[in-house]
Amino acid sequence: MVLNDLGKKITESLRKLGNSTVIDDETVDAMVKEIAAALLQSDVSVKIVKSIRDQIKKLINLEELPTGLNRRKHIQMVVFEQLCNLLADPNSVPYRPIKGKQNIIMFVGLQGSGKTTTCTKYAHYYQRKGWKTALVCADTFRAGAFDQLKQNALAAKIPFYGSYTETNPVRLAEDGVKKFKSEGYELIIVDTSGRHRQEADLFEEMIQVEKAVNPSDVVFVMDSSIGQAAYDQALAFRNTVSVGSIIVTKLDGHAKGGGAMSAVAATKCPIIFIGTGEHREDFEVFEVKGFVSRLLGMGDIASLMEK
Amino acid sequence: FFGYFRKLVGNHDLERADLDQVMVKFKDQLRSKNVASEIADKICESVTSSLVGTRLGTFEGVSSAVSTAMEKALTTILTPKRSVDILRDIADARAAHRVYTIVFVGVNGVGKSTSLSKTCFWLLQNKLKVMMAACDTFRSGAVEQLREHCRRLKVPIFEQGYSKDAALVAKAGIEHATREGMDVLLIDTAGRMQGNEPLMRQLAKLVDVNKPDLVLFVGEALVGNDGVDQIVEFNRALREYAPNEKNPRLIDGIFMSKFDTIDDKVGAAVSMVYATGQPVIFVGVGQQYTDLKRLNVKAVVKALLK
Ligand SMILES: Nc1nc2c(ncn2[C@@H]2O[C@H](COP(=O)(O)OP(=O)(O)OP(=O)(O)O)[C@@H](O)[C@H]2O)c(=O)[nH]1
Ligand SMILES: Nc1nc2c(ncn2[C@@H]2O[C@H](COP(=O)(O)OP(=O)(O)OP(=O)(O)O)[C@@H](O)[C@H]2O)c(=O)[nH]1
Ligand SMILES: [Mg+2]
Ligand SMILES: [Mg+2]
Repeated sequence: MVLNDLGKKITESLRKLGNSTVIDDETVDAMVKEIAAALLQSDVSVKIVKSIRDQIKKLINLEELPTGLNRRKHIQMVVFEQLCNLLADPNSVPYRPIKGKQNIIMFVGLQGSGKTTTCTKYAHYYQRKGWKTALVCADTFRAGAFDQLKQNALAAKIPFYGSYTETNPVRLAEDGVKKFKSEGYELIIVDTSGRHRQEADLFEEMIQVEKAVNPSDVVFVMDSSIGQAAYDQALAFRNTVSVGSIIVTKLDGHAKGGGAMSAVAATKCPIIFIGTGEHREDFEVFEVKGFVSRLLGMGDIASLMEK
Repeated sequence: FFGYFRKLVGNHDLERADLDQVMVKFKDQLRSKNVASEIADKICESVTSSLVGTRLGTFEGVSSAVSTAMEKALTTILTPKRSVDILRDIADARAAHRVYTIVFVGVNGVGKSTSLSKTCFWLLQNKLKVMMAACDTFRSGAVEQLREHCRRLKVPIFEQGYSKDAALVAKAGIEHATREGMDVLLIDTAGRMQGNEPLMRQLAKLVDVNKPDLVLFVGEALVGNDGVDQIVEFNRALREYAPNEKNPRLIDGIFMSKFDTIDDKVGAAVSMVYATGQPVIFVGVGQQYTDLKRLNVKAVVKALLK
């Protein structure tokens, strides 16, 4: 589709840059414009693209470049690194569960973003490394929510807690966490209902669940296909509970995941994992360089950088 | 800025150069309202060409001329080209002693099952006999989810558990619903990524084998640029992967979910309608059965240009 074409166009424009003998402001301008277009097509928020554009232009100040330095390489590095820094701020260190301690991780996010699926993936990831993990279903709203978590947990052989009759998510979360704490679990994962910032009651409920379980980390789960609403939604979650990390799901689809960049910018939280399919193994540690290449529609950026 | 355009008034026929600067602003506006980039480009291009060669009114600036043309273009895009009257079609099917079938398709987590349940509630309000068929035989809890909706709405369910061929479950469901004298059968399907060929083939088979009366594509209002790719690829898969049909059933309309989560960023509706020419038949505006609406074209256009 057109998206792929654009990816090609950018790779092309970087290549052209590699071929042209003179690199002047005009060449740089054209390139920055095309990169901005790619970011917009990847769902990075319009506001953020504008600021990235200015930032890159500022950093590529041709006059101030020392002579002898390979200008082309410099420009390529600036663009790429700038985006990597935005996505993985070297100063923001993600929460890492501590083995041997009791870590309580609460999952939050918009409806259908992939929380329940990702909870199991997260638990499975650590369980395979020898952690004692457990799942708590605090979603009393969505039809079949407990069955979904239960079936996932059973298949992955992870202990779980939930109820078909209890309608209070705060109590469920509290009871579940208490139970697994007393049984000495190291990683207790709490799944919650989907919600959005326009529903004040749902946000209030989220605050109550957070209070009840006192999480070590709150993970914001986000669908990679989200568009311009990403920034405001992510910010609202961050301003309501102590979101500390982000997981981006459904990257096995065609979406480039630019909404994730907006969410990182809004929350100042790092992305820790990505979801790449419906099965519990489809889960990877977030790797910023690969993600940025995808964002720009440049499959072969890495090889380009090495030249 | 304003002064510059003032000078143009009535001077000469509009040229591309007169419009370019204003158009950049409108393009950004559409994008910030979540219209897919590619679609924003196309809309702006068509508005530009509609204005080139025309002359501004005496008191009209370029910006307001563009705004008017834009409003017109967006309204045209969003206004359905043909009317889909589900209740009338159901009545026709009933007269022919046939059960009317609606299948809900789309990528993962967009709201297919919930939207199906809302549709069920609406049909019940119209005094119709409705049954659901649980043809998501893959995702954990999918069958129980539908069973719960059926329990709440007091309608029967047809299900054969998990790991079954969804196309065959749907087929058996239609036979069952016919025997039971149902007016409508609502078929739930598993979510799938538009680029996942094996899963898309399975969906094409389900549609081809069962020839539903209505194929509803569920897309969420939250989706960005991927929305265009989703609906285009679903349609393509239905066309190209249909195992034995020369005139395959394609997407008939859009169910746009989660409209309550996006404030004025209503652009996904424009992207999807533009990409396929199919109308938005329903809009989901919440998680309750009653949160079902029709698209208000005027309000959407207003939000886009605000
Ligand atoms: N292809 C793909 N599908 C995914 C991925 N993660 C989740 N899903 C699917 O997305 C859909 C929604 O996932 P859930 O885990 O139910 O989402 P949720 O956030 O818990 O939803 P609510 O509880 O209703 O808010 C399901 O069909 C999942 O199988 C992924 O990485 N790739
Ligand atoms: N706010 C809001 N939430 C919605 C709307 N429609 C559906 N949802 C929520 O979105 C989540 C996913 O809905 P489902 O109906 O399970 O989605 P699905 O497409 O069937 O998901 P899979 O079968 O897993 O692919 C649930 O939490 C629903 O309550 C809507 O119009 N507004
Ligand atoms: Mg869930
Ligand atoms: Mg479903």
